[in-house]
Amino acid sequence: MTLHVAPGELALEPAPLLSVAGISRFYGERIGCAEVSFDLWPGEVLGIVGESGSGKSTLLRCLAGIDKPDAGEVLFRGGPAPLDIYSVPEQERRRLMRTAWGIVHQNPRDGLRMDVSAGGNVGERLMDRGDRHYGQIRERALDWLQRVEIAGARIDDRPRQFSGGMQQRLQIARVLVSEPRLVFMDEPTGGLDVSVQARLLDLLRVLVRDLGLAAVIVTHDLAVARLLTDRLMVMKDGRVVEHGLTDQVLDDPHHAYTQLLTSAVLGA
Amino acid sequence: MPTMIQVENVAKTFTLHNQGGARLPVFDDVNFSVEAGEALVLAGASGAGKSSLLRILYGNYRPTAGKIHITHGGRPIDIVAAVPRTVLDIRRRTLGFVSQFLRVIPRVSTLDIVRDPLLARGASAEVAAERAKAMLARLNLPERLWGLAPATFSGGEQQRVNIARSFVEPSAVMLIDEPTASLDAANRDVVVELIAEARAGGSAIVGIFHDEAVRERVATRYLDITAFRKA
Repeated sequence: MTLHVAPGELALEPAPLLSVAGISRFYGERIGCAEVSFDLWPGEVLGIVGESGSGKSTLLRCLAGIDKPDAGEVLFRGGPAPLDIYSVPEQERRRLMRTAWGIVHQNPRDGLRMDVSAGGNVGERLMDRGDRHYGQIRERALDWLQRVEIAGARIDDRPRQFSGGMQQRLQIARVLVSEPRLVFMDEPTGGLDVSVQARLLDLLRVLVRDLGLAAVIVTHDLAVARLLTDRLMVMKDGRVVEHGLTDQVLDDPHHAYTQLLTSAVLGA
Repeated sequence: MPTMIQVENVAKTFTLHNQGGARLPVFDDVNFSVEAGEALVLAGASGAGKSSLLRILYGNYRPTAGKIHITHGGRPIDIVAAVPRTVLDIRRRTLGFVSQFLRVIPRVSTLDIVRDPLLARGASAEVAAERAKAMLARLNLPERLWGLAPATFSGGEQQRVNIARSFVEPSAVMLIDEPTASLDAANRDVVVELIAEARAGGSAIVGIFHDEAVRERVATRYLDITAFRKA
């Protein structure tokens, strides 16, 4: 039998990259996040929005393998076989976090080694995955510094000599140099001046598109979510109250909380 | 000609949870279809819900009830029930929305904005750049602006960038909301021509035009949506 595939289906990949089912994390009596489920497809960017304490960072930590949830599973399909990240030994999970995916922390100090040169910060990820040729590593590090708009002449400087915006761009280079398929970002533009934010946002938008990255981005800034994400999850008190296409959720919010959130900002 | 849009029993009511749960019914039981090569112009007084209907067709607003089949890749797909990545794929390859406002992205040049839809559909960088330049020239946008980001452009200039972006590679289905609102007569004529060319190329068009002269020149058919007003 011939299999007819409509042209409309050809562009779509067959399986989600990440399948999240029933993730819950409790801190004693208090809910961190509860019963969160979703699929993330290759190349898709999911935003998680909500106010402080809504559980969005807790959820991100569970998804990224940093904090084991009390219930639920995170299935990653980036390798040869699907992998339930919390059922494998800690060592394997750490190897995965270093190679197959990347984490961009809100504070660059959490993602960078401050006492190692900029080039060393980027090159280290390549060495983690087995690259050994010093010249090539330095060349790739240089290339990535330029892609995130850091002058090549700064390659031997330490991150503490950089401004906040540059540190954040360096962290992004460090994460993306190893060509992850999936990136987690926690308030990537938080704590930066507005003008610096715009530059970083545009850089992220272009990189995500050109590399075909899948990403989960936590932000409290709806304009950031509008610019960078395809889909949006709105969280309140640890639970997802609304989930859909980003422009649908922002332009025609249905849940009372989302309506409050979108009406509280100017021109997001 | 093949049907490109099929609207069945579509209703929309806004519920404002933070204003005492106020319910604003817009319309009810809307049914119509649009074929390739047609230009359906939405009519009705201000506030009748023309823009809301257009946004629903784009998958931007969610209707309270009903189905909207858009012919995508040769098959009708209900954009109301489709998952987000399918909606995005429909928008990327079949469905375009032309608004009167350009959403400006920091630092992206005018030429790149206009070129982008061609690149997304697989054109080479050179071909995309040539066609983008031709379209900007046709809309009388001075060449010295092409390399600049449109954040500082006038309303009319931004609107022309937006039109150039939308018509450089017309989608099979085009939704058009007031494209000529702040344009002079010469540029208004160009927009009317672009719409006629898209239609001749087989695009199905649904639009809102306040300018009566433009409306008359563009429309092959009218739909007065006041008729679907909730009783």
